[in-house]
Amino acid sequence: MTPAWLLRNEAYTPPSDSDAFLDRSVRSFLGVLSLIRSRTGYTRERRGLDARVKLVSTFVLILFTSLAQRPLFVGLCGTVLLVSLSLCAAEVIVEVLKACFAAGAFTAVILLPSAFWGNTAGVLVVTVKVLICVGVARLLPATTEWRAVTRGLGSFRVPDIFVLVLDLTLRYIAILGALSLDMLYALRLRSVGRNHSKTRSLSGIAGTLFLKSRVVAEATYAAMECRCFSGTYRGGQPQALGVADAFVLSADAALIVVFALIGA
Amino acid sequence: MHIPDNYLSPATCAVMGAVMVPVWTVAVRKVTKEVERARVPLLGIGAALSFLVMMFNVPVPGGTTAHAVGGTLLAIVLGPWSACISVSIALLVQALLFGDGGILAFGANCFNMAFVLPFLGYFIYRFISQRVKGQAGEYVAVVAGSHVGINIAALAAAIEFGLQPVLAHNAAGLPLYCPYPLSVSIPAMLIPHLAVAGVVEAGFTAAIVAFIRRVSPGMIREAPSGKIRWIYAVIVVMICLSPLGLLAAGTAWGEWGPEEIASVANSGKALGYVPAGMQNGLKLNALLQDYSVKGLPDIVGYIISAVAGAAILVILFRIFSLIGKSGRDRARGGTA
Amino acid sequence: MITLSNVSYAYEGNAALCGIDIDIPRGSSVAFIGPNGSGKSTLLKLLNGIVLPDAGRYSFDGELVTRDALRNQAFVRRFHKRIGFLFQNSEAQLFCPSVKEEVAFGPRQMGLDEREVADRTNDCLELLDIARLAQRSPWHLSEGEKRKVAFASVLALNPEVLALDEPLNGLDPRTKCFLRELVVSLRDAGKTILCATHDFHYVEGVFSDAVVFSADHRIVRTGGLEEIVADRGFLEANNLL
Repeated sequence: MTPAWLLRNEAYTPPSDSDAFLDRSVRSFLGVLSLIRSRTGYTRERRGLDARVKLVSTFVLILFTSLAQRPLFVGLCGTVLLVSLSLCAAEVIVEVLKACFAAGAFTAVILLPSAFWGNTAGVLVVTVKVLICVGVARLLPATTEWRAVTRGLGSFRVPDIFVLVLDLTLRYIAILGALSLDMLYALRLRSVGRNHSKTRSLSGIAGTLFLKSRVVAEATYAAMECRCFSGTYRGGQPQALGVADAFVLSADAALIVVFALIGA
Repeated sequence: MHIPDNYLSPATCAVMGAVMVPVWTVAVRKVTKEVERARVPLLGIGAALSFLVMMFNVPVPGGTTAHAVGGTLLAIVLGPWSACISVSIALLVQALLFGDGGILAFGANCFNMAFVLPFLGYFIYRFISQRVKGQAGEYVAVVAGSHVGINIAALAAAIEFGLQPVLAHNAAGLPLYCPYPLSVSIPAMLIPHLAVAGVVEAGFTAAIVAFIRRVSPGMIREAPSGKIRWIYAVIVVMICLSPLGLLAAGTAWGEWGPEEIASVANSGKALGYVPAGMQNGLKLNALLQDYSVKGLPDIVGYIISAVAGAAILVILFRIFSLIGKSGRDRARGGTA
Repeated sequence: MITLSNVSYAYEGNAALCGIDIDIPRGSSVAFIGPNGSGKSTLLKLLNGIVLPDAGRYSFDGELVTRDALRNQAFVRRFHKRIGFLFQNSEAQLFCPSVKEEVAFGPRQMGLDEREVADRTNDCLELLDIARLAQRSPWHLSEGEKRKVAFASVLALNPEVLALDEPLNGLDPRTKCFLRELVVSLRDAGKTILCATHDFHYVEGVFSDAVVFSADHRIVRTGGLEEIVADRGFLEANNLL
């Protein structure tokens, strides 16, 4: 019954091949999944700033840093970022700084050739601005629970459906991402030799994702139907702003005034 | 192909955002009409798929890997309007929830990756598959659509970059954002996309479409009937190629090159040679000559730097305490 | 053949395995039993090199399995060929457009010539009684059929060790019986069989030994499967009955 080759132990010398695409794909999926897991749990005991205030401040800071031309104003924006960072936990600081310096280094390298025809100041200014803006952009999700961010986005006169779609997107990224990761592992476990059709294997995984996604979407639709979904999604009153929120908002306003006076 | 902040001037970003607003409005209306109430989960799914496709590292001949965007893929499977919304939401999630930046440049990124890429790719796909029948025709259509789609999207990004030195410069004529003119940005963007990224996009898209067609052909959205007329194809090609005309047009738009920048640097005084320009740029007081602003005392600058210094000290302290903690953890347990 | 010394593993701050000591000789058949969340699946992932221990050592046939070892391509490929893993979620294991290609994937990688690949594929399809599904797409199959396809695709590598994660979950009685018989014949053929399960009624007579996990991710008992199953008091105390 059992075929002869199953009864033998084989001495196997594997041919060489490159698995970089698998390892890197696994790493990027792992990164995303762990990021989602760490940011969508209800772990924040201390109630910080309101998400809406953070969204406004993030946008204001990035916009005016980008508009600024006076080094003094850019320095002021950088100081605001540093002060905000100093109030954060060490892990957040490290994460934000890593993103900053990676982006800054990348920008400096890309812009470097232009320094050779006299644009040194421009290279420096743009690099510093990139450092600040990336830091601010990374600070927002690092210190805010994602559900609060989507709710906050929704509070700016946007239809309920938009917030629901955002929340669903995150959930589906987690579900489908976990499935992709499992399939990538399965592919890796069976990569015992030379794979002549790597793109085909990878596209099989991506294609399966597409098929699975239809199933998942239909299940969500059925669940929504069964609970008489009518289009309204956000329940509950938005929380009132606190003292810290007011302080930050007035700091934003002050920044805008300063820009009007000296920044341009 | 994601454009970060500060490479495009805020004005450019605002314009691109304004261009996308009607596109998004139409897209939402079209998708709503097509799919009715099931649209909500399907939009989320489309966005999740767009996000995840961008995370695969696809092998490139030569041993390295690259990423695909998948705009044309989504347009073929879900339809171009759904693809537009899906990619836009995926970009929003990347910018705001993963902190990848591109918040001001959101409009421009959506224009390139959620509008140009899916629509052009889809247009070419349908045009070719309507005229070349059979499986081979289908394959060629997918490959051509996705390859051309991503390259024209890259061209759009290159134009957005290349116009910056002309659109946004300070009084001395120095560029404020991206310093490379069209003559640099277009080849810099197009060559890697034509040679590598486009091939990856085309190969990956074709393979996935082939897989879906083989396993579950019903999943691919039915293309609406109606043959695309030749005249539209000609118009589209001309629109796509017209920016290249900017290069040929002359100094005002395309030939703004290094020589001219060197000649207007340093408050209009022409420089004899580049090293002098570099020297001047490196002198700190030349950079910070606006540090003391008229009307505001010097003390303001000092206060700002003092606050910054204090914040840096706190940050360093926290980082060191974190290193100490992980060192203790490592000594106690073990890490593989 | 497989030795774990004082292995611990935590996933994002939550302990999954604590102080695991196991020694599995070649050719043995071991069932990992324990309630949900006790670490059985995690252990199988660890044995297959998907995760690495935070503490302790894992050696496979005398070679230490470490991060550096898993960076060595030759070691990794040999390692994955010698130990085959059946996922708990069969869907996650299948990514080829047809069943035949799915099963042929492994042998093709190994560089066997096409005739041998075809022979092995057909043998595996026959063994799992899925020859009629050869041209179908795994995506459209039922749960039991998917499980069999996954099993066939793992078997096609001819691994020395088979690690099965809850292989009988969600299957109808006939399919459960079929897989049970198959595992018995593989055991008799000399393969080392490891199986994580909380449904140990079906594994009686298949596995000679058992390792029992507790809810706090430790091993509470190892020994012969029969005597453990007979000890009702012990089973009830540990949420196994």
